[in-house]
Amino acid sequence: MVGLSAGEKHFICGGIAQDLRSDGRQRLQFRPISVLIGVIPQANGSAQVRLGATDVIVSVKAELGKPTLLQPDKGKVAIYVDCSPTAGPAFEGRGSEELSTELSVGLQRCLLGDKSGAVQPTPVPNGIFLAYECATEFRAGIDLSSLIVVEGKVCWDLYVDGLVISSDGNLLDALAAAVKVAHLLRMFICCTDIDGLAALSNTGIPKVSVSLGPSPEDQPEVDVSDEEFLQFDTSGIPVVVTLTKVGRHYIVDATAEEESQMSSAVSLSVNRNGHICGLTKRGGAGLDPSVVLDMISVAKHVAKNLTSVLDSEIAAAEAAEDDES
Amino acid sequence: MRELRVLLNQTQKVRLQAALQHLRDLSFQASSPAIPVTIADTIPVNREDGILKGHGTLEFNGQVVATQCGVVEQVNKLVYVRALKARYKPEVGDIIIGRVNEIAPKRWRIEINFSQDAVLMLQSMNLPDGIQRRRTAVDELNMRSIFEENDVVCAEVRGFQHDGSLHLQARSQKYGKLERGQLLTVPAYLVKRRKQHFHHLEQYGVDLILGCNGFIWVGEHVVLGENEMPEDQESRMENQEQNFTPLKVRQQICRIANSVRLLSAHGFSLSLEIILDTAEASVSSNVEINDMLGAEFYVQTAEREVQRRASLLKKSRR
Amino acid sequence: MATAPTSTYSPSNSWERARQQQKKSLFRKEDWVRSDGRNFHQCRPAFLRTGATNAASGSAYAEFGSTKVIVSVFGPRESKKAMMYSDTGRLNCHVSYTTFSAPIRGQGTDNKEYSSMLHKALESAIILETFPKTTVDIFALVLESGGGDLPVIISCASLALADAGIMMYDLVSAVSLSCFGTNLVIDPTTEEEACRDGSFMISYMPSRNEITQFTLTGEWSTAKINEALELCLDACSKLAEIMRSCLKDNVLS
Repeated sequence: MVGLSAGEKHFICGGIAQDLRSDGRQRLQFRPISVLIGVIPQANGSAQVRLGATDVIVSVKAELGKPTLLQPDKGKVAIYVDCSPTAGPAFEGRGSEELSTELSVGLQRCLLGDKSGAVQPTPVPNGIFLAYECATEFRAGIDLSSLIVVEGKVCWDLYVDGLVISSDGNLLDALAAAVKVAHLLRMFICCTDIDGLAALSNTGIPKVSVSLGPSPEDQPEVDVSDEEFLQFDTSGIPVVVTLTKVGRHYIVDATAEEESQMSSAVSLSVNRNGHICGLTKRGGAGLDPSVVLDMISVAKHVAKNLTSVLDSEIAAAEAAEDDES
Repeated sequence: MRELRVLLNQTQKVRLQAALQHLRDLSFQASSPAIPVTIADTIPVNREDGILKGHGTLEFNGQVVATQCGVVEQVNKLVYVRALKARYKPEVGDIIIGRVNEIAPKRWRIEINFSQDAVLMLQSMNLPDGIQRRRTAVDELNMRSIFEENDVVCAEVRGFQHDGSLHLQARSQKYGKLERGQLLTVPAYLVKRRKQHFHHLEQYGVDLILGCNGFIWVGEHVVLGENEMPEDQESRMENQEQNFTPLKVRQQICRIANSVRLLSAHGFSLSLEIILDTAEASVSSNVEINDMLGAEFYVQTAEREVQRRASLLKKSRR
Repeated sequence: MATAPTSTYSPSNSWERARQQQKKSLFRKEDWVRSDGRNFHQCRPAFLRTGATNAASGSAYAEFGSTKVIVSVFGPRESKKAMMYSDTGRLNCHVSYTTFSAPIRGQGTDNKEYSSMLHKALESAIILETFPKTTVDIFALVLESGGGDLPVIISCASLALADAGIMMYDLVSAVSLSCFGTNLVIDPTTEEEACRDGSFMISYMPSRNEITQFTLTGEWSTAKINEALELCLDACSKLAEIMRSCLKDNVLS
């Protein structure tokens, strides 16, 4: 994707070895991050995250669905990522398929806990990306049982859709940060109420009252409230830190140019308590086990900083929203 | 172009607005206020003198209208629109920097931010041994040893061929492959054509090349003529660690590069003086290299530019 | 949708349908008030900005009410080898929707129809002779669809082209209109579009007084067409002024 001459590659590698990257950052320094919330009013939660020149949007939509047979007491979460051709002509048509899949799977692995249900690759019309519908569990993030409305009958399905608008490396971390913010902030949420009009609300998922029919076969009648909302604690959603290994060293928040030089990259998701919630490795080169352990401790440290940066960004964005209203 | 996105707090926003307003006022005070036009705007011309319609203009219903957004410029009878964000338009003699896209028979195709690739013929290229002679078939086979795909190359615009393709030449020691540094891309209009595009910043040990096409090279200084023959790959790999750009020089490179990034984010045209000014200002106010791209220095740069232009204006009035 | 239709359902379906019917008849009334409080001949407020993405040669973001669109323009770049030689430039248009563009989550789709409509609307405005042998790519992405998507895409795309410095005869602005019985309603929302009797869309170059694209569905009398045309042309001219001032601000700063 990024074509660099031997001289430039050498320069980038040298910069990483000397702890002074091309834009003046140190190895473990992030680019400035900015957060916008509520960019998609039609969604139940949405956020736009910019990390340098990388720009992503995540929308979270909640729909009523039926729990799976295997897990009648849990809701479902599905994560999809799409790369828009507005980010580059290379993403036109099927060009983005591979990257979209990689990001979707990476995000699922990092944000969702262990899969305790079946994973079914679902074929998608016109094949923009491969979707994985998984009955997964937010062991580290959302408690999936909080998404249940009536056990075995009705639950909330959360659809987490990521969209890459501009790409300059480190997409996974940016997407994960956006998911976190979109979940956390249910400030500016629009839910389709009974009149079919958009209603703004401060909270997340609309409250649902269910009246069950006399026989168990009956479809339960569902009444979606337009005033009461259900809020679940999502502050536990982990952040993702990708450590990209270039030469002997590894860096965080690699730009596209730096990513082209990577031998391998490890994405770690770390929650507020400093626990690792998921890990995924990309790239062809092998890693020494001790390096992996080292990476984990570094990632924990970086994640702590990133979490606090995100928290303050969220607070700032919240304050801005309050000012406007 | 990697645009900077800067997050400003309230006071910084106010300061920036004030500075930008000031700049606007200053440009109006300057000798000839530029007329901004958008597409299909009528360009006011004095018909009696007879005019020549230049780039970005069109005759419609007896009037001259613009076909792109920009600023109206007039040189004698020629009226044209100078576009702000359009691609680079080459002129003969321009010094440009490009990236090799493809190696074709007897030529390299080079991406130079023009609507088509430029062509550098093997014969318009000084051979590494510096001897003037006919190019042989062997030379043709060894083309990849001169420039490979993705190499960054500095050259001069030779001219358009009859088929509309753009040809380059690199008939001097100062042209050729650029290594050990970073390439920045800025909008082409920010680089004005000048006498000197190669700058050796002796105090920093840095080479700065301002390509007319908006590609800017900031790299370690290379001594002309001391073209060490490329060692074989293996020994190069071994030496790689020792061979890195020294940290001191790298710091300077990054500082200059960030100055360029910052200025281009502001849309200030790039000249050696202003780039050095910015870099020096960052040193004197103890701004870390990375923080140069932060909000505070961003605003300061705008304010400094106001002062600079104001003093320029005073001088020209005297 | 990934899930089978049986596992996901929206509540009170039949009720909604009844509601829809009711609305339909409501729209035919003379004194009906639009949900966003506009009068029939009032367009939604338009917010336009250039430079939405950074990798593109030009880009624009448009927000008309709840319709949000990003358009990136790449090029002119050398046409692919496989294409035949041409002495004029080529235009490649591509319109896609995000998965979350509609209130009910759907599949992100490429809209072939809109892609070709966009191409036709812009083709005659661009001076293709100025970039022979090369291609300009226009990628439009609908972030949120709130009605009148195509006209917003067209206007936004022409702004992005201007931002990219592509030579054009004039900016293209587009406006759509829906017909409900005897009422003509300009710049309809999705909700209104769903119940319309007829639709009308033009894209227009105001300074040249040329219509670049024109579509009409439903049954129309000539008098109605005249009225609709007049309304839309006027709205297009006003929109073009907003687009101009957006571009002019750019030149100044």
